[in-house]
Amino acid sequence: MAYVATRGGEKAIEQAERLFRQDLGPIDAARVDTIRKTMPYLVDRVMGEASLYDEELAALALAQTGGELSEAVLVLRAWRTTQPRLAIARPVQQDEVLTQRRISAAFKDIPGGQILGPTLDYSHRVLATDVLEGKPFTPPPVDSAQAPAPVRQPSLAEWQRQQGLVAPATEPDTAPEDIPDLTREPLLFPASRAHRLQSLARAETGGVLALGYAAMRGYGNAHPTVNELRLGEANVVVRHPRGTEFSAGRVRVSQAEVTSKEKGGYLELGFAATFGWNEVKVIAAATLDLNSAEAPVGSAVHEEFYLYHTESVEASGFCIHFKLPHYVTFQSVLDAMRDAKAKKTAADAAPAETRQMEPAE
Amino acid sequence: MLTVAPPDAIELRCNSTFQALMWALSRPGDARVMPEAGLAGIAETLVDLECTVFADTPDLREAVSASGALVTGDVSRADHVFLSSLENAADQIVQLRCGSPLYPDDGATLIVAARHAGQRLRLSGPGIEEPTEISLDAPPAFWAMRAMLCAYPEGFDCFFVDAGSVIGIPRSTKVEVL
Amino acid sequence: MSLASLTKDWAATSYGFLDASAKRELRRKMLKAIAVPGCQMPYASREVPMARGWGTGGLQVTLTLVNPASTVKVIDQGADDGVNAASIRRFISRVSGAAETWDTLSASIVQSRHRVPEEVMREDQILVLQVPNPEPLRGVEPNMSIARQMHADADYGKLWLTLYEQIVRKGRIMQGAAYPSMVNGRHVMTPSPIPRWDVPKLNMAKHLTFLSAGREKRLFAVPPFTRVEPLVFSDRPYQVEEHAHLTCRRSGLSGYFMNEIPQDNGGSTFEVSDSNLGIKAIQKAEGAPTEIGETWYRDGEYSA
Repeated sequence: MAYVATRGGEKAIEQAERLFRQDLGPIDAARVDTIRKTMPYLVDRVMGEASLYDEELAALALAQTGGELSEAVLVLRAWRTTQPRLAIARPVQQDEVLTQRRISAAFKDIPGGQILGPTLDYSHRVLATDVLEGKPFTPPPVDSAQAPAPVRQPSLAEWQRQQGLVAPATEPDTAPEDIPDLTREPLLFPASRAHRLQSLARAETGGVLALGYAAMRGYGNAHPTVNELRLGEANVVVRHPRGTEFSAGRVRVSQAEVTSKEKGGYLELGFAATFGWNEVKVIAAATLDLNSAEAPVGSAVHEEFYLYHTESVEASGFCIHFKLPHYVTFQSVLDAMRDAKAKKTAADAAPAETRQMEPAE
Repeated sequence: MLTVAPPDAIELRCNSTFQALMWALSRPGDARVMPEAGLAGIAETLVDLECTVFADTPDLREAVSASGALVTGDVSRADHVFLSSLENAADQIVQLRCGSPLYPDDGATLIVAARHAGQRLRLSGPGIEEPTEISLDAPPAFWAMRAMLCAYPEGFDCFFVDAGSVIGIPRSTKVEVL
Repeated sequence: MSLASLTKDWAATSYGFLDASAKRELRRKMLKAIAVPGCQMPYASREVPMARGWGTGGLQVTLTLVNPASTVKVIDQGADDGVNAASIRRFISRVSGAAETWDTLSASIVQSRHRVPEEVMREDQILVLQVPNPEPLRGVEPNMSIARQMHADADYGKLWLTLYEQIVRKGRIMQGAAYPSMVNGRHVMTPSPIPRWDVPKLNMAKHLTFLSAGREKRLFAVPPFTRVEPLVFSDRPYQVEEHAHLTCRRSGLSGYFMNEIPQDNGGSTFEVSDSNLGIKAIQKAEGAPTEIGETWYRDGEYSA
């Protein structure tokens, strides 16, 4: 059939995929392992945006997509869809986090101390070109402090509450197992705070940064001060059917609290947390959270605006969908346009008294 | 890259039950056959961890509970309501959730055992080409209450189960008691 | 309760890809969608192994419906072998064991982007339309919370106004595809970006239609025998694309929706958009045993 021969879509897509995969070459467990060990921050970012904490699966997703981030996140989220939910973990309290880095910009020193931990913040960002000239870079050993920092650190906001600087925490009216889950129900507006923070936790880092940055530059109503930024590991505590609680493992987490001005006699706090260590994301996200309360509808800091537009899988998917053929819709538009043109030509050629029958513009 | 298991018995049963429910609701008044008699198969097909369910018998409560759904004694909190009979159920019916103008989907789904015989009804509305008459063992008071509670698009949707056979009456159906 | 009752043997994926709980949520929402025709029902919309905007909403509905006895047809722009249609059909078949077909008559489920097949669908068939934007009011009200309130109030004044303005400015309604339509006299819906040619096929149809937007997390339905009326003014009748007089250069068919193929000489030729209808017409002309079903349009006139 001549009709069929001109198309051949199935063969084309098969070969197009083969071209992509051929460029990446064979993927084995060693490659996945190398990615997992050498790119922890990239793995963290993918796990955060995918809402799935598994370093090995995230490294595999990066391996098979060649590091195309939106593809890696999509493949991981899609895999998540096939998995059942077995248990609901207990919410993590700030002072339970096994903290490796905790800083505050609001005070010179804070109860528990400023713990710098691992960071590039004060390093000179110089490319280590020596490595390419055959001189491998071996990181110099870390000199241990005289005494190790405490594993757990108190919450700064808790101290501020005791001082009457921050509004008292309200007792949650939702049982931990009833906290709404964004991955099981749609985001509706006004969003519950749980949904808003979950949506930010899985948001696209670049998108959150862009809108958070817009808020910082003045498109929001609150300029952030980093009240507390924390990187650490959290135990995933679940309940055994017999009733005892146990830790099923640890996940790397980041969280940020930002504050701005006073409202009703207290400092307002914006909050964000995510899987993995991703400081820029949680600071930008906490800024958006902080700005939400008084945001005008339709502004970049209004929750409907920023939550919808930082959804990584939706945003990237819709953007690339414009590559799909649209010739039926285009034909439909052309038809209306040609007809309107023909009508106008006919109307222009018609005697003046006929034209007056048409509605005036 | 993709290994897919064949469907297990539960998957096949739920899929088939849903087909029956879907076509029953799409063509109000048409009886559809489910793979298993009774209400438990419908619970298995529709409800789980995300749902809050009212059921009026211990057996049904057990079936629902196994799905992980929250069993409530308060009909007004339930998204799915399972009744073994419409007799003396007025207290429950009057509490059925009807959703809101913004979210009509919050209206409850009522699944009730009722013989497909007895009272004659005339149905019209979406899914029905010409007004059609059916027999359904639901008291006229039920239909009067339904008319009073359901202000379209708000309302609740019903499945009437007679052994392995199910009739659906969505809120969009106009019901006249003959 | 034991630990074993909370766990299951590891499996790479579930049957039909979606896990059982995702399917149950879709089932619940699909029933509500049938109960309130044309009303957008929010759902969680799981990620599937295709990018958002590529038919993930339609796919989730199809994956919920499908079983090993199903026969699935997938079209994009009317064609079964468009690259994305081929990809979706292959995926559905791989994860469900369903049979694949190009023939509208033998399909139990037809998943489509931008077209409704030309052959009349039967009462046992389901049409699943992929929807990029489920909100017919988006053009007049981008904020979805406000738009939802407008649906609640049946407040479609802004929409009527834009249609009226088009008539005033251009002499006709300029809406191309996705023509806003009133369902069951209550909810205005977008029929998805199908051409105006296809909208009448949804009105008082025998088949059941689901419309699902995965990215926007909304699904809605048109049950059989439900009124679907394009928004028009009484003195300005609904205008479908002027394709009735066009002839397909390959199959010789005329009176159906066509693809325009620009030519080097500045003109255009046409091919029938429902590609398998074209193939069947060619097969019939060549003497092969082929069944072509009744079509919604006859001699370019809608007549069902």
